[in-house]
Amino acid sequence: MSQAFFLILFIYLLIESRLPQDIYLDYSIALNAEQNIELGYPVKYFFQLDPLIWITSLISGHQWIKGFGWALGVVVLTFFSGRIFCGFICPFGTLHHMVSYIRPALKKQNMVSANQKHPSQRFKYFLLILFLTAALFGLNLTGLLDPIAFFFRSLALAVFPGIGTGIKELLDIAAKSDMKILNYISYGGEVLISPVFGYGYEAFKAAWFMGILFLFILFLNRIRPRFWCRTLCPLGALLGVFARFSILRLEKDPEKCTDCNLCLQSCQGAASPVPGQKWDVSECMFCFNCFNACPENAIVFKWRWPKNVSKKPDMGRRAVLGGLLAGLSFPFLGRLDGRVHNVSDARLIRPPGSLPEKDFLKLCQRCGLCMKVCPTNVINPTLTEAGMAGFWTPNLIMIQGYCEYTCTLCSGVCPTGAIRNLSGKEKIETPVRIGSAYIDRGRCLPWSGNGPCIVCEEHCPTSPKAIRLRQETTRSPSGKAVNVKLPYVDLKNCVGCGICEYKCVVKGNPAIKVIAAGESRSVANQILLKL
Amino acid sequence: MNYHPINRRESIKKILKISGGLALTGIITWPYQKTISAWAGSNNKKFIIEGIGQSHEYSVKVLTRKVFEAAGGIQKFVSKQDVVVIKPNISWARSPDLAATTNPEVLEAVVELCQEAGAKKIRIADHTIHDARRCFAITGAGMVAKRTGADLVYPRSSLMRNMKLQGHRLDVWPVFVPLVEADKVINLPVAKVHSLSGLTLGMKNWIGAVGGRRSALHQDIHLTIVDLAQFFNPTITLIDATRIMVANGPSGGSSSDVAISNRLILSDDPVAADAKAAGLFNFRPQDIGFIHLGEKWGLGTYEFQKLLQHKVII
Repeated sequence: MSQAFFLILFIYLLIESRLPQDIYLDYSIALNAEQNIELGYPVKYFFQLDPLIWITSLISGHQWIKGFGWALGVVVLTFFSGRIFCGFICPFGTLHHMVSYIRPALKKQNMVSANQKHPSQRFKYFLLILFLTAALFGLNLTGLLDPIAFFFRSLALAVFPGIGTGIKELLDIAAKSDMKILNYISYGGEVLISPVFGYGYEAFKAAWFMGILFLFILFLNRIRPRFWCRTLCPLGALLGVFARFSILRLEKDPEKCTDCNLCLQSCQGAASPVPGQKWDVSECMFCFNCFNACPENAIVFKWRWPKNVSKKPDMGRRAVLGGLLAGLSFPFLGRLDGRVHNVSDARLIRPPGSLPEKDFLKLCQRCGLCMKVCPTNVINPTLTEAGMAGFWTPNLIMIQGYCEYTCTLCSGVCPTGAIRNLSGKEKIETPVRIGSAYIDRGRCLPWSGNGPCIVCEEHCPTSPKAIRLRQETTRSPSGKAVNVKLPYVDLKNCVGCGICEYKCVVKGNPAIKVIAAGESRSVANQILLKL
Repeated sequence: MNYHPINRRESIKKILKISGGLALTGIITWPYQKTISAWAGSNNKKFIIEGIGQSHEYSVKVLTRKVFEAAGGIQKFVSKQDVVVIKPNISWARSPDLAATTNPEVLEAVVELCQEAGAKKIRIADHTIHDARRCFAITGAGMVAKRTGADLVYPRSSLMRNMKLQGHRLDVWPVFVPLVEADKVINLPVAKVHSLSGLTLGMKNWIGAVGGRRSALHQDIHLTIVDLAQFFNPTITLIDATRIMVANGPSGGSSSDVAISNRLILSDDPVAADAKAAGLFNFRPQDIGFIHLGEKWGLGTYEFQKLLQHKVII
């Protein structure tokens, strides 16, 4: 029940991480973007519930982030009642639970042996120690495998857009039909699905990879139930460490046990529930499967103060040392590409309000909330633009969308504050620059003498405009003198929003482009001596 | 049914009967011709009405109503059970005071008038430049739709359908479907400056009624505007010049780009309406390319002085 509730809540909040169609602002008081558009739902709730995100952000960012009291609550809960988060709250865990439970791949004896403890379960501690150590040295990689971030990203960037694309293609075929009834079905269908799947064809760079990874991890449940939870999940590992002192304990009665192994067959965490073995509190996900399976009532959960603190989490020396070593190396290996200290990639355009790159990498969880919420679909996960250290962090791709001048939705939803919370007013008046535009005269229509065009200037949202026109004479390709308006970029006013690049008639590789140079967040990246 | 094609003799008989009948009617009505033409003339003569809000803190909504009253009431344009589509300019996610978009109070008044005229369905449709959801919210159009119950059409890609425009420059182009599936179309633009076309007025508003590669339209802006204006041919045009954008157009973004003009211009001649509004910016109408071409291709006249003129001042 509680699992279903939290899974549904998670998916509901995920769906609500978008700009709804029915937003109304009272225009009688709407003066110059004073009113901010914010989402009506606490879409970052699950991230604030996640102790791993909280602790790694605390270690790397050295600051208490607002809203993470919930995570502290989960830690306290774990001290008392073990990994109850895994068994009752975690939406990703619920999904694995479901997949493992419905038509399990292994039968009876095979399942019993699959649910024996396996050394590979130490791998999650390796990951946990890796993430904690890396965070200490200024690189927060947690979000790559944190269950909440992983689940959100996979659903928001791959699964939902994938389904949405499929449905929309179908509806578009119906919309093109000559039969009126099919048109109406198409319109109605779109009205129904758009709030969930988005208003256009959503696209995210390399989301196919996220989707395949997600499916693969679901498939692993057929090798061992809840494979992710018991072998990979770093949050599970963290909670396992805290769970050691749990006062909710599994009591076994070897007298009653008939060695039927039903408990083992149902134990998705491989936590040795069978009487005669020592119960692994750190592996137990408190799903209560064993308790339900036991026909003899030989195992029961009871609130009892632990007399002798139970078994330590079985990390293994290799996992600890390996984790420390990897955690120590990754941050510095990640900086070897010189992007933090020397010069960043010109294409790496961060959302408005992003912290300086070094601080950004300390906090960004790569969760995809900003990408999901962006109404123009401009924010994409990086592949190479931010180097290894910034894999899957947000990046604005201006040929796919643009940063709307008064919009600050992404900064409002960022759970860790890697994108600082901005108001629309602050964004405009500071102004917060994310890059700057330059014109490629070889491709530009008027500059190359191929005809009049002022599209970039027309769309430029600043006042006064950052793109200015000058009436000048150029030569057409045939050598004829033509009198046209030529666009020039005025760097003083340009904020790098990218609408010029997005709307340019030259598609794919536009004649006006935005590069990261000039972005407010970096002192080294400024162009002008004084603005 | 036994069907037999009409042979030559029968068809000649028929033609004679019909033309004879027509000739007879002509002879009978001949003495009254003068009255008939006078009646038809007063009905067909195009009009232009300028509403001016002079008093301090006048109500834009009241001014809108008065302007329509001066034109003979909304019933003259909207009949009972009509599907009315209103095309405001809500292209930019800008607050109303920045004059980049149609004044929501004008929009609200027009929607209410159509409701009073008994329209079956009222739709507000614009293919926005910025994200439509943000435009709806910030320009106030969303609020108007909520208050009045009018439909606000989200410009989805499936609502853009290729149609034959039969223009001088544009042949087949994707069109925002609701604007053609309507009994009556009301054009509700805002007046502002534009770097290429000079001004953005009523006829240019139709660029917001098509899909496809709209950016490319700028390569021959005036002729494409006229082609679109001819295709959409609204029942009536009401230009919102309560405040006008005089600099940094068409997006604006600062209150220093805005001048208060306190005017509304209503006309059933799209060219005349634009010509009149051009005067607010101290342009000669014939200097604006699309107004000039609009007259040339017979969409209307920029000599608005020749129309029935009327002024409403409150």
